[in-house]
Amino acid sequence: MDVKVPSLAENINSGTIVKIFVAEGDPVQKDQDIVELETEKAVAAIPSPVDGKVTKLHVKEGDEVQVGQVLLSLSEVAAKEEAAKEEKREDAGNLEGEKKPEEIRAEPSSADREEKQTAGLEEKDEEPQAEEGSNVDAAKAGHGPPASPSVRKLALQLGIDLARVRGSERGGRITLDDVRVYIDQLQKIALERTAKIPKGATKTLDFARWGYIHKQPMASLRKKISEAMVISWTSVPHVTQFHEADISSPMKFIERYAAQYEKNDARLTLTSLVMKTLVPILKKYPTFNCSLDEVTKEIILKDYFHFGVAVDTEQGLIVPVIRDVDKKKLLQVSKELGELAEKARQRRVSLEELQGGTFTISNQGGIGGGYFTPIIHTPEVAILGLGRAEVKPVVRSGKIEEAMLLPLCLSYDHRIIDGANAARFVRDLAEELGNLKEDEVKLEAEEIAQNKEGSEKRSRQDRKTKQ
Amino acid sequence: MKSTKAEVVVVGAGPGGYTAAFYAADKGKRVILVEQDKRLGGVCLNYGCIPSKALLHATKLIREAEEAKIRGISYGKPQINLAKLKSWKDSIVERLSKGLNSLGDKRRVEILYGRGHFEDSQTLRVETPEGQKFIQYEKAVIAVGSKPAVPKAFDLGNKRIMTSTEALELEEASKDLLIVGGGYIGLELGTVYATLGSNVVLVEAMDSLLPGVDPDLVQHVKRHAESYFREVRLKTKVLEMATAGNQIKVTLEFEGKEQVGYYDQVLVAVGRVPNCQDLGLENTRVRTDDRGFIQVNDKQQTSDPAIFAIGDVTGGELLAHRASKQARIAIDVMTGEPSTSANIVVPAVVFTDPEVAWCGLSEAQAASMGIEVEVVKFPWSASGRALTLDRADGLTKLIVEPQTDRILGVGITGYGAGELISEGVLAIELGATAKDLAETIHPHPTLSETLMECSHLYYGQATHISPTKVTE
Repeated sequence: MDVKVPSLAENINSGTIVKIFVAEGDPVQKDQDIVELETEKAVAAIPSPVDGKVTKLHVKEGDEVQVGQVLLSLSEVAAKEEAAKEEKREDAGNLEGEKKPEEIRAEPSSADREEKQTAGLEEKDEEPQAEEGSNVDAAKAGHGPPASPSVRKLALQLGIDLARVRGSERGGRITLDDVRVYIDQLQKIALERTAKIPKGATKTLDFARWGYIHKQPMASLRKKISEAMVISWTSVPHVTQFHEADISSPMKFIERYAAQYEKNDARLTLTSLVMKTLVPILKKYPTFNCSLDEVTKEIILKDYFHFGVAVDTEQGLIVPVIRDVDKKKLLQVSKELGELAEKARQRRVSLEELQGGTFTISNQGGIGGGYFTPIIHTPEVAILGLGRAEVKPVVRSGKIEEAMLLPLCLSYDHRIIDGANAARFVRDLAEELGNLKEDEVKLEAEEIAQNKEGSEKRSRQDRKTKQ
Repeated sequence: MKSTKAEVVVVGAGPGGYTAAFYAADKGKRVILVEQDKRLGGVCLNYGCIPSKALLHATKLIREAEEAKIRGISYGKPQINLAKLKSWKDSIVERLSKGLNSLGDKRRVEILYGRGHFEDSQTLRVETPEGQKFIQYEKAVIAVGSKPAVPKAFDLGNKRIMTSTEALELEEASKDLLIVGGGYIGLELGTVYATLGSNVVLVEAMDSLLPGVDPDLVQHVKRHAESYFREVRLKTKVLEMATAGNQIKVTLEFEGKEQVGYYDQVLVAVGRVPNCQDLGLENTRVRTDDRGFIQVNDKQQTSDPAIFAIGDVTGGELLAHRASKQARIAIDVMTGEPSTSANIVVPAVVFTDPEVAWCGLSEAQAASMGIEVEVVKFPWSASGRALTLDRADGLTKLIVEPQTDRILGVGITGYGAGELISEGVLAIELGATAKDLAETIHPHPTLSETLMECSHLYYGQATHISPTKVTE
């Protein structure tokens, strides 16, 4: 059998082979890692689907591969087992409910995905997701998207998924014309994609004319960052709100309890403290924790608080996401932040850990940066930048006092959020930070015990999985 | 051993099988159609839909003549010549079956009479009257259908215990007839026999007639059955049957109590089982489920790449028109044209009095799947046409998706419901909304108006129903 590049994640359609762990003739076991693949944001190992022997390698290290491309061929072990599996596979091909790998990978088409990012096009990309519930119901009940049998037949012949086509008639009924419009759009996008390369790359200048130069290829992560930034910068009207927060007292707490956290395998940082402080502010101003569905013109407010944290790595910026910050204690958040940042630096973050964020924090304080204008991590609508906190003189009741001031830089999507609310947001955030209670930082005995229990459990599990 | 070659062999010449054979021939395939019976048409044409509907039609006149009395029109007592009725029914079957032979001949479909048996995935052995023949085929379609289920305990080898097949032969209309099973077969044939003079007692193990059909569609059927039949007993099980002279002794159980009755004839109509035995499926890679039905995907493919299966033998709803649709899907897929049975709408009609018909999503299905729907019902007592027919015992209902107004299901009970349901099928297939139906003119006075009125009712504006809100 052939082992193919599996569907990796939404938006991810290709990668580079970093390492091949097996050679031709090697026996492999089911779930044994066979190759390591670097995608735009993470390095992932691909396991063998079956027990067998490598008969042929179709790729070499450094190759750029697409989803669905054959990596290597395997002969399966033991004739008896082979027969059993053969039959099973036949079933998968034949009987309903199960899909062939080809079908699975055909689903998240890159053309469709990128459509959304091409501004100005009426695209339905997010819509299948929005409608997912009802479509699933429809499938169960035996009624698919509303369209006449002739239109459905045509769609079947052309391989078009009608769930992605916008129906113009009553009840969202899809007509032949709707299918035509959809095909036109697909074509347009396909054309734009091919035209994009020469368009984007203005004339190649011969810089060597003016002196010695070095060339290096753009790494896939760099390419991805570049694309994401262009999309956000060109499609979202950014405004950045600046403010200062007096963090004299929280800094004291950090100093006071850093050791206590250290003992519990966590590093108490300003970033984790700000993350926890952000939760009540985002609950008060929920539009900062939302996304905009440009197709349906709906604002999607999220009841969960998953925060992305910008991590500087050798290869470039990576933004892993810490989930359910509202439900976790500061200790837990600090711990996860440290772990995720480390994973990001080692480029071991899984694709899931990069998705689903609702708000992002970028702290340049550690490097020493001051005010800056962060770019929103779409489809989120706001990002908070933190600069380096410095002791500065402030005037309070006519007296000059010392205060530790933290630069806050809040970039927001002006389509959703107005300046007044942004000003209120940073004002309240600064106040909340300044008035932080010691109790919220200090660890209780109970919490410490829980944490220990948790980490022991985890390390036990780690050992298990290693075995 | 000589063998014939065929591109497509179809086993079974019922509505699924002959459709598959003819359609494949129309698409240029060399086809052999194998039938073990002496006539084409399968159960539907020979022992099911067609003869039963002929008898229901013939006897309807008797029921209607009786009802005409209250309208001031009286006839004498009907004289029934059972032999003549039977030969009239047989002539219809004969004519249709002959028609199939001629349609097959014109398409150069070779018809082979005999039992088919798979030797392997490419070979079918047919036991014809002239001896064994072997067919080397490229693709096979299994369309062998189903037959009445007879629980072992009832199988006494006594001719007085009938299935639908024997009952349709109409040898006699005995005095006391017990019908076991309150499904459509029991109800339809019960109506025929009751009209011909039998005292019919119908027993059903479940707590309703036509189990599985929305209760509001069954209520009128139940009322009629109770008036035609001597008795309708629900939640009643048959424990034992035994020969007792010229009668059958039947032990029934109702709420834990046993009861013994004597009947001249018993009709067993408790379901149908697939005709998979002795087909040689074990020599192929075809898989069956635990009830013996052949497993297929939405393209009618079995787990054997060379073999398709369609119709009753694949389980689900055992309906002729479903088999015919599946035949076309199978042949399309076989000839490389994309096709699927996903999202097709299969209507069902029960030819009881009054008829019951439905398609798409039922109210019960919506509830069990947790699909949010709005149901609107138009009682026929508000239909002028129904009253002129003296048939106010009807109901039309729409099952609508509230967010989009899309029609997901239609249910009708009433006089001629079977002819009315097709509009519902078309509406659902076209993805029509209640608005589309409401905006379409329906001729007056007809029963089809009930569908339009129903959609008006969805918007709270049905002309012939009192408004829910009154503006002062």
